[in-house]
Amino acid sequence: MLAPGDLRPLVEVCDLVVSYGAVRAVDGVTISVAPGEVLGIVGPNGAGKSSLLAAVGGQLRPTSGQIRLDGVDVTKLPPHRRARRGVVRTFQDTSEFGRLTVFENLLVAGLGMHGASLYAATVGARAQARRTATAAERAAELLARFELEPMRDTYAMELSGGQRRLVEVMRGLMREPKLMLLDEPTVGVAPHLSEQLRREYRRIAASGVAVLMIEHVLEVVEEVSDRVVVMDNGSVIAEGTYDQVMQSQAVREAYLG
Amino acid sequence: MSFSSLDFYLATVVVIFGVDVLSAWGLNLQYGYAGIPNFSFIVFQAAGAYTAAILTLGPMTATSGQTYVAGTHVPFPVALLAAVAAGAALSAVIGVFAMKRMRADYQAAILLILALILNQFIVTDTSLFNGTSGLANVSRPLGSLVNPSTTGWQWAYAALVWAICAVVLFAVQRLSRSSWGRALRAQRDHDAAAAALGCNVVALKMQVFVIGGAIAGLSGGLLVFYLQAFNTASWGYEETLAIFVSILIGGVANNWGVILGTFLVQIVFVEVPNLLPQFGYIGLVDALEWVVIGLLWMAAIALRPQGVIPERRVRAERFGLPALRRALPAATAAAAPGQQGAHEERLGATGGASRR
Repeated sequence: MLAPGDLRPLVEVCDLVVSYGAVRAVDGVTISVAPGEVLGIVGPNGAGKSSLLAAVGGQLRPTSGQIRLDGVDVTKLPPHRRARRGVVRTFQDTSEFGRLTVFENLLVAGLGMHGASLYAATVGARAQARRTATAAERAAELLARFELEPMRDTYAMELSGGQRRLVEVMRGLMREPKLMLLDEPTVGVAPHLSEQLRREYRRIAASGVAVLMIEHVLEVVEEVSDRVVVMDNGSVIAEGTYDQVMQSQAVREAYLG
Repeated sequence: MSFSSLDFYLATVVVIFGVDVLSAWGLNLQYGYAGIPNFSFIVFQAAGAYTAAILTLGPMTATSGQTYVAGTHVPFPVALLAAVAAGAALSAVIGVFAMKRMRADYQAAILLILALILNQFIVTDTSLFNGTSGLANVSRPLGSLVNPSTTGWQWAYAALVWAICAVVLFAVQRLSRSSWGRALRAQRDHDAAAAALGCNVVALKMQVFVIGGAIAGLSGGLLVFYLQAFNTASWGYEETLAIFVSILIGGVANNWGVILGTFLVQIVFVEVPNLLPQFGYIGLVDALEWVVIGLLWMAAIALRPQGVIPERRVRAERFGLPALRRALPAATAAAAPGQQGAHEERLGATGGASRR
């Protein structure tokens, strides 16, 4: 079997700059993630981690630099076009669709369910019904796997923080993603659900998905990541395995000031 | 009130009710399902009304006594379709800049201001639709079938309006339950997440804005053929507020609830006061009407933001999943220890309270 590093990277970020006015939140970052690999990004508040993730997801337009997905330049693609190429993400504040049930939250995410086509919803209703049936099947599988079956008809806004996080991850999995972006994926999650989530993140990576994760809790980073990038002031100051970066002098300085 | 004038009044109420229900469905698609605070909704009804009027008034002559553009004679169904097209076309033009990604409160402000500007524009430029005097003498359609000066015609027209309502209800229900409708509701609740799942949020909003505009245009066309006249006072921005309150009271994102809300607001609170004995100075009753509508709005938001008949929960059974055994609270708690929210049957109607 191939080790993750042997594969061609799925996502390549080259010399990326994200500026807010005069402030360079991301200042020339170059990273890559291979299929099946979890890359953890750590760093103090304001290091530019969330901006980097948003630039990869398409929520932020970078000032310069390039983002390639599967070798294709996606730097200028809007988020929904990147999503259709296999990029999914979770948000720092959970992003459930509050007045949709858990099941509907999953259904919306199903492939071909993005509904941008009025034609599919009306004239092409039969083909759409087939896609809906496929998505419903997949949703049922995920509900079973994440043990959320009893909650399937519950409005997402009635869920706990941890369950909302689960729904976000399940929604991502509905799309059979290639790249999953996780923004602080265990924040505000009860301990037993956090454990379940960490297992799932490893399992998602093991299925061949590239995972890019921002996480403050170092214990989670150590457990889940194959490789760690440390950012400070918009730049990468260390890269390597968890143990390697934790021994770096630059990292100690950044954290201890 | 004599019998014939009561008959006349009742038929008028039934027609107006139908027109108001149509408008409310149009705005409910935009606001209830898609979250677009379209405070200029009434403008699109006006577009339909003016279009239908000038297309049937005939060319302007020296003796018309009113000024307007592009007067011509087309058959009633063509004029009605043109009203639909006018509402849709104006929505498409305005949507190009009003449906861009922006905060909902900015969007609401832009659309409200637009309603004020456009109304003022038509008031000022009298060459288009005769300013504040507006257009009159629009002839009643289908005169060859029923004598237009009888209440029989009024009831026949009422029947036509409600037949059209039935068709529109079928269409809006079908659309709102489709995957397209689900994507609309998803982006309403969290637009960035919907985009991150492949929804083209701007396109979705644009589509629903144009469809709602088409329904508004249709309602305007139907209205003008009944009233035979239309002027700038018919589409003040506050008319949109009355439709909003109908939706908020009846049921946000529930097309049946909207019928109830429209009845309560447009008929009970707007029409019935016209029957009450007038008191105080002239216009006091009208002014009080708006006070009541404002209070209703506040009461709805404070007490029951999801409306009397809330958005319907879409259960997974509808998609062929085996029925969920109604889990006892204890069993549910075991599946997700320490979590709340499992008792959905009890929480049921609390939906709709979030994020608004």
